[in-house]
Amino acid sequence: MKKELIELNVNGRTHELAIEPSKLLLDALRQDLQLTGSKRGCDDSSCGACTVLVDGIPMLSCTMLAASCEGQEITTVEGVSEHGSLAAIQKAYGDWGGAQCGYCTPGFMMTVKHLLAVNANPTEEEVRSALSSNLCRCTGYSQMYQAIKAAIEAEQKAVPST
Amino acid sequence: MSLPQFRLLRPRSVEEAVGYLATHASNIRVLAGGTDLIPSMRQKLFEPEYVLDVRRIAELQGIRPQRGVGVEIGVLTTLNAIEHSDFLRKHYPVLTEAAATVASPVLRNMGTIGGNICLDTRCLWYNQSLTWRKACGFCIKKNGDLCHVAPGGTKCWAVFSGDTPPALLCLNAEVEIASPSGARRLPLREFYTGIGDDYRKLQPNELLTRVFLPESSADYRGVYRKLRVRGSIDYPLAGVAVVVKRSDGHVSDARLALTAVNPAPVLVKGASAMLSGKTMTEELADKVGDLAARTAKPLTTSALTPEYRREMIRVFTRRAILAIANN
Repeated sequence: MKKELIELNVNGRTHELAIEPSKLLLDALRQDLQLTGSKRGCDDSSCGACTVLVDGIPMLSCTMLAASCEGQEITTVEGVSEHGSLAAIQKAYGDWGGAQCGYCTPGFMMTVKHLLAVNANPTEEEVRSALSSNLCRCTGYSQMYQAIKAAIEAEQKAVPST
Repeated sequence: MSLPQFRLLRPRSVEEAVGYLATHASNIRVLAGGTDLIPSMRQKLFEPEYVLDVRRIAELQGIRPQRGVGVEIGVLTTLNAIEHSDFLRKHYPVLTEAAATVASPVLRNMGTIGGNICLDTRCLWYNQSLTWRKACGFCIKKNGDLCHVAPGGTKCWAVFSGDTPPALLCLNAEVEIASPSGARRLPLREFYTGIGDDYRKLQPNELLTRVFLPESSADYRGVYRKLRVRGSIDYPLAGVAVVVKRSDGHVSDARLALTAVNPAPVLVKGASAMLSGKTMTEELADKVGDLAARTAKPLTTSALTPEYRREMIRVFTRRAILAIANN
């Protein structure tokens, strides 16, 4: 099939890509843009390892066509760090062992980033519900909940009280 | 796995979309949220020459209450938007409850109400990779001529596994369908055929555009109960939706619908009559539960045993009725 020229906005930069219309967003990110943070896990639209933000909303990049995302802003795990240093949630995942083998972590990062963007102080139930989109085969969920709690506390301390 | 090759069409209006459907009707698939079509295309269940990506058609988005009439929901409204709509939660709670159980939060950001209504029927012998199907034997729904679930028969028993349609059936929903000859409206209960491999009355040149909930169905108490193996992500293995309107402690009207146990979502015949005019007691809930279990025809299309799934229809129906009674 003939390749088509599309513009993809990823992590704040616009890229011009020549891709087949059937190309999945995940493959465009990994193969054409060398952004290999997003992972192919189940290949069945259920595990969440490929989660990216599309206009700020978490979606599965293995279940979207790259060409369908033209005109939308895509954020991958590579776009989560702030000014070259780890975001609070990334640091907390490291400190609390939120990542074991690490394969599912980029997907979880995107889900958590969205959760904290819409709800700065979620209850444990809200955290569990939001994270129910992603699977961790190491089953390290408890450490992730601790990491998220720590990240929220760190964030609150960082904001000077008035 | 990558997808089979196709040409991508991205219309911006219903008119443009219907034009594409008319031209390429023999070899086109409609793509909205993608959560049903794309996994199936990966498994080579569909290899269309054209894919019609309707996501950019703005007029098919949104929930629009119409005073004195009801509410109109564009088919591209995401399940997440339905789940979090204050209007729908207040007036049509059974729908928000059912929408909130679909797959996972991230999949609900993608999946649409139209896609959930049009969801392809599912079966353990069908929703598999081409390699798997080749090795284990093709079935009547795709490439084969026999049914592994009901051997000897020529009917496909693939099971309808959407969560919102039973809720919509309870609410007497109607759907609008656009085609080259104009738009038509159809009660949702007439949309499904009950045949696994030809499960909906939607021609290849037609597009589902809107869902209507009448005001006469507003403000019923509603409950949806879903059986699945995991607490998230999974399709239903049995589902029960119940709506009840009460006056003076008695049921004045009620409807009950099932999903994931037949090739179509079904309203349980006789449930309204059984409940109407009565007080909701445990005894009555048992009776309606038995009726629901008799309506369910689960087969080995899905995980868990058919016997267990049928029993859970009985249990969930009973629990749903008592939950409404005690609320």
